[in-house]
This record gives sequence, C-alpha cells and structure tokens, in this order.
Amino acid sequence: MAKLHMFGNSLSLGSPPVLPLADGNLIQPMVVLGLCIVAGIGTVMLLPARQDSSVRKLGGTLLTLAGLLFVVVILQVTGGPPQAGVGWEFWIFSGIAIVGAIRVVTHPRPVYSALYFILTVFATAGLFILMYAEFMAAALVLIYAGAILVTYVFVIMLAASAQGDGKRPLMGLAEYDAVSREPFFASCIGFILMGVLLFLIFDRASGIVQPASDVAQSGTGAAVHGSTQALGEYLFENQIVNLELAGLILTVAMVGAIVIARRRVATADVDDAFEPSIETINATMTPLSDDPRSIPVYGTTNPRQKAFPQN
Amino acid sequence: MTQLALEHFLAVGAIMFVIGLIGFITRRNLIVIFLCTELMFQGVAINLIAFSRYVGNMAGQAFVIFVLVIAASEASLALGLVVLLFRTKNTLDANAWRDLRG
Repeated sequence: MAKLHMFGNSLSLGSPPVLPLADGNLIQPMVVLGLCIVAGIGTVMLLPARQDSSVRKLGGTLLTLAGLLFVVVILQVTGGPPQAGVGWEFWIFSGIAIVGAIRVVTHPRPVYSALYFILTVFATAGLFILMYAEFMAAALVLIYAGAILVTYVFVIMLAASAQGDGKRPLMGLAEYDAVSREPFFASCIGFILMGVLLFLIFDRASGIVQPASDVAQSGTGAAVHGSTQALGEYLFENQIVNLELAGLILTVAMVGAIVIARRRVATADVDDAFEPSIETINATMTPLSDDPRSIPVYGTTNPRQKAFPQN
Repeated sequence: MTQLALEHFLAVGAIMFVIGLIGFITRRNLIVIFLCTELMFQGVAINLIAFSRYVGNMAGQAFVIFVLVIAASEASLALGLVVLLFRTKNTLDANAWRDLRG
C-alpha cells in the first residue's frame, strides 16, 4: 500500500477523496468541435484503405497534431504545465490509452490490433488506479489482458488466412483487412458524436449535482483500506443475487461456447483424409497405426454427425 | 494546474468509446469488430468508475464487475461463433455475410 503514495494521496488513510468537478469551464466547447473535425479527417486518412502509405502517414500526423493541440489548449486554460504529483499520471495513461485505441482501430493486421489493445488495457488499469479502484484495475488486467485477449489471439491464430493476392497495395494482407468499409461516413458519425459528447461534458457537467459522499458510511469505517474492501462489502451486502446471476451467466456462456465450437476438431488438413463408411463400424477397435486419423469413429451413419465434417 | 476533475475521465471514456465505435463500423474483419466492442466496453467502464468516484459509493465499481462478466461471456460466445462462421465460408470478412441483410 505504501508504494502507491506516488499517486498523490495515500490509499490507506480511510476513504479516498471524492472526485471533484472542474471549477469553471475547462475549454471552450467550440475549440473542441474544431479539433474533433481535424481528428476526424486524420482518422479517415489513417484507416486502412487502398492507398499508398504517405496518405496514412499524413493522417497520422494530422491526428497527432489534433491531440497535441487539444492538450495544449487544456494546459493553457488550466494554467501552465502540470506540477509533479498533480495528476500528471493521468495525462500519460490517457495518452497511451487513446493512442493504443486508435492503433487498434487503424492497424490492418489483427494480431497487432490485439497487442495494441493489451496496451490500452494496461493504460486503462492505470486510470482506474488513479480513481482508487485498485481491485477493478487488477481485475481488468487479469480478465482482459489475461483471459479475453488470449482467446482473441488464439482465434486469430486459428483463423489465420492472410492470403493477399501479392499485389503491392495490400502488402500480403487479406482484402477485408486492408480495405475498410465506409471510412468517411463512419468517421463523420463518430466524430460528430465525440464532439457532442465532449461539448456536453465540458459545457454542461457543472450542472450535475454531487450528492453527499457515503463512502464513510459504507463498510466499517476506519477498517476500510483502499476501495477493495469497501467494494467487497458493497457487493456481498447489496448485490448478492446479481453476483450469483453473474456466475450463472458465465457458466451458461461457457457451456454455450463449448456447444458452438464443438466441431473445432475438424481442421483443414484432416477433412479429406478421413471418410467414414459403413464398414468402419465393424472395424477392429485397435487402430491400424499411430496416426490418429486412422482411428475410426463408431456409432454414426449420419454424415452430418461424423467426427470430422467437411468444413 | 487544477485538480483532476470528473470531466477529464469522462472525456477519456467518451473518446475511447467513439474510437471503438468508428472501428466497429469501418473494420471488416470479424475478430477486429469484436475487439472494437471491447474498446467501447472500456470507455464505458472508465465512465462508470469515474462516476463511482464522483458520487462516492461503490455502485459504479460493482457495475463494472458485471460489465466485465458480460464482456467475458460475449467474448467466448462471439469467438466461438467467429470460428464457426470462418469454417463455413473460409473467410473472416463480414461482407461475406451480407446476404443476411434480407
């Protein structure tokens, strides 16, 4: 716990401070809208498409420029560069998270998208720690970077079929990876939404009424260290049924995933080597060789149910 | 430099959500589409935890736990489906299934 002193306030001193609202307007909302337009144009150019890499480089530069302008504007409004200890970690973590997120979306190769997503997960976990949600940060890293991303990478590996036609613009990528769908339209929608959201956040958030904090009342007061214990007490006092339901959902999802992917044993290289017929039912139980493909499958004559279906 | 405020975290959450949305619309690889959904989940999770910190109780964090549960179930089911779809048409292109449009 003492190691976390770098994050401003000690986590072990009772309830952590409540997040305040910014005093006054952070930035001019019109500036936000303008920057969103610039970033949108950059994203259109950065998305994978049939064009040479100089356009994508230009798009990346434009996007970076918009981000830097955004930071500069915020710093100017809030008065000078941040001193050490006053939330400079926030800028680092959120910068990494957003850059990683953009690369997830714009990188043409799925494996790199997954790796950049891991980067984003770690940066988000850092943001969670800044908000005194240590347990959620650990759970995020364990579940996302540990479990979910391994599944993604596994499926990417399983379905790896990057067979470009060798032409120069695709660079060995599959066509659906190299050419994105409606980049202009999607960026318009996305950045209009982003502009409106940021406008609302920076312009109207001061209207949110902050209720009285009840961290101190929840749990056992002084015995609460960090927010993990408080979270556990909240979960098992108020959300016990939902917690059980969550376990049930996970079980159902696991069973469903097994049922859906049950035929995964059939890979591309065994399907034509094995053709079950009537006489395999009467065949000897002893396999003829060590090759697992020579082991016959008994008990079915329905071609739809054979162990190694064709595709 | 003022103290970190609610707006900072809300802005990061909104930006991540929108980036995920753009990727969800533009990308055509089924796996990357689901990866972009996870990105949107993360933006929402940042928002929820920021509001949990702002309000000062644990409801937001508890909600993020359930979001993670749903994300994990969704990932396992969706990737099973992706494998199934890949083996049916031998491509990960979402446009290969455009006849489902009706």
